[in-house]
Amino acid sequence: MEQDDLIITAAQAQLELSAEEEGRLAAAVTEMLDYFSKMSEVDVDNLAPTTHALVTDNALRTDTPNQNNNQKELVDRAPDNENNFIVIPNVL
Amino acid sequence: MAEYETFIGLEIHIQLLTETKIFCGCKSKFGDEPNSNVCPVCLGYPGVLPALNEEAVRLSYIVCRAMNCRLSENAMFERKNYFYPDLTKNYQITQFSNPFGRGGAFEYESGDEIKKINFHEIHLEEDAGKMIHQGGKSLCDYNRAGTCLLEIVTEPEFKTGQEAEDFLQAFRRTVRHLGVCDGNMEEGSLRCDANISINTPGMGLGRKVEVKNLNSSRFVKKALGYERKRQEKVISSGGIIVQETRLWDEDRSVTRSMRSKEQAHDYRYFPEPDLPPFRPDKNFFAMIENSLVELPLTRRQRLVECLKLTPDQADYICEEKALADFFEKTVGLGADPQLSVKWLMGNAAKELNRTGFQKADLGSEGCPLSAERLTELLMMLADNKIHGKIAAKTLTAVFDENKNPAAIIKENGWENAADDGDLKVIVQKILDENPKAVEQIKGGDEKPRGFIVGKVMAATKGTANPQSVQSLIMKLTS
Repeated sequence: MEQDDLIITAAQAQLELSAEEEGRLAAAVTEMLDYFSKMSEVDVDNLAPTTHALVTDNALRTDTPNQNNNQKELVDRAPDNENNFIVIPNVL
Repeated sequence: MAEYETFIGLEIHIQLLTETKIFCGCKSKFGDEPNSNVCPVCLGYPGVLPALNEEAVRLSYIVCRAMNCRLSENAMFERKNYFYPDLTKNYQITQFSNPFGRGGAFEYESGDEIKKINFHEIHLEEDAGKMIHQGGKSLCDYNRAGTCLLEIVTEPEFKTGQEAEDFLQAFRRTVRHLGVCDGNMEEGSLRCDANISINTPGMGLGRKVEVKNLNSSRFVKKALGYERKRQEKVISSGGIIVQETRLWDEDRSVTRSMRSKEQAHDYRYFPEPDLPPFRPDKNFFAMIENSLVELPLTRRQRLVECLKLTPDQADYICEEKALADFFEKTVGLGADPQLSVKWLMGNAAKELNRTGFQKADLGSEGCPLSAERLTELLMMLADNKIHGKIAAKTLTAVFDENKNPAAIIKENGWENAADDGDLKVIVQKILDENPKAVEQIKGGDEKPRGFIVGKVMAATKGTANPQSVQSLIMKLTS
């Protein structure tokens, strides 16, 4: 993998890499990509992509509210909260 | 500076009026306590499965159909990957390869012309949560995360901000008529972003700039007008337009660059494995056809042609579906269209305002004024059983006492004073009591006539028809 591509990919994954990590990862990622590139050898020219293994019917849910009372527990599981808000470092 | 051609496209997001969110049973409600309408699904906890809300699908197809789109028979959902804490999953479930609607067109009025805008596509997606940024931290509220959001993308065919604004207003009216969205821009249930580019005529689209933060239809025209001038200045002075996203700053009336690192976004869309495709059958499409209603523009034209409303009156009536339905019901019940529209625009509007009701409440159960009651009142007025002032008083009483107009009028003895014979006797009596005034009137002085009318009205407790009194005075003093 080219160094530029690695830097862009890391930025999109919100990863900060040191120069040493960049060097190490570039080699490792290249190896992984090579491994999967075997898949490109398969001839799929006249095949529609399979996105779901078993599709029988439309799976729809009626528009009725369900009662769950564990909101507080769900918020409590976040690392930090305040007045029912989940608190994270400023991302603006 | 008309040497450049302008291309404007809109992206409109509407929140669908469903009870629950798109993929879970949490309530879809604005203004609740933070994180009170959340569950493991919309908070993106591991191991959960989304389940598509059928009402969201129905409302989406109604919009697609009303906008004359090609309706998808094999709609797909995709994951759009991005890292931002307004969604906890690190992706948004949206539609990419096969949205519900493609193509389509919509006619709207701009100035005195009927114009047409084409659509690129209409797709359904989950809305993101809200964040408040304070000092070193950001506060996240996921009540809105996972609510049903329909995105409507137009082709870049508007030539001016005015056209874009006129379309947006017509579109808002339409989705309200369809009953799919409340169209409240302040609360964000209808949001609008625009893209704009300019180029030398004949050269096609220029390099486009996205303008965000258009939270009112008024901002659309202002922001796009500003942005067009800014781009003209840049190009005229030999500069190049930077493809970027800019924010409308309403306080300063300028657009500002968001200065985000302009890396080409790569959302790495891929099919959502947790949601099967949606493949509607004949029954579904038939149900969508049956859910359609007459759209405001068509209805407005019909009211002008068939019921002889003026264009202004028809605009007023068609602004709200409930009001238009109410008006047509009174006409169906026998009210004169002109009388009905005048009362709806005048006294009825005033009474609604006074009692804290909206025009949209007309015809609903809680509102004291029903179409039947207004028709009863207007027919009594038209038949000369009461006069205008009494009708107004009765309307107030309808709202205050929640009773039928005829009953109120009867209880208070408000029917027009007697027949003409009785009224003539009363007027003659008042004239006899005021010989000086009679002499003045006979001498050509108009002033005492008002005085006499006042006396007659007092004697009949306001029930006399002032016009009849006037003509009797004229007759009896000549």
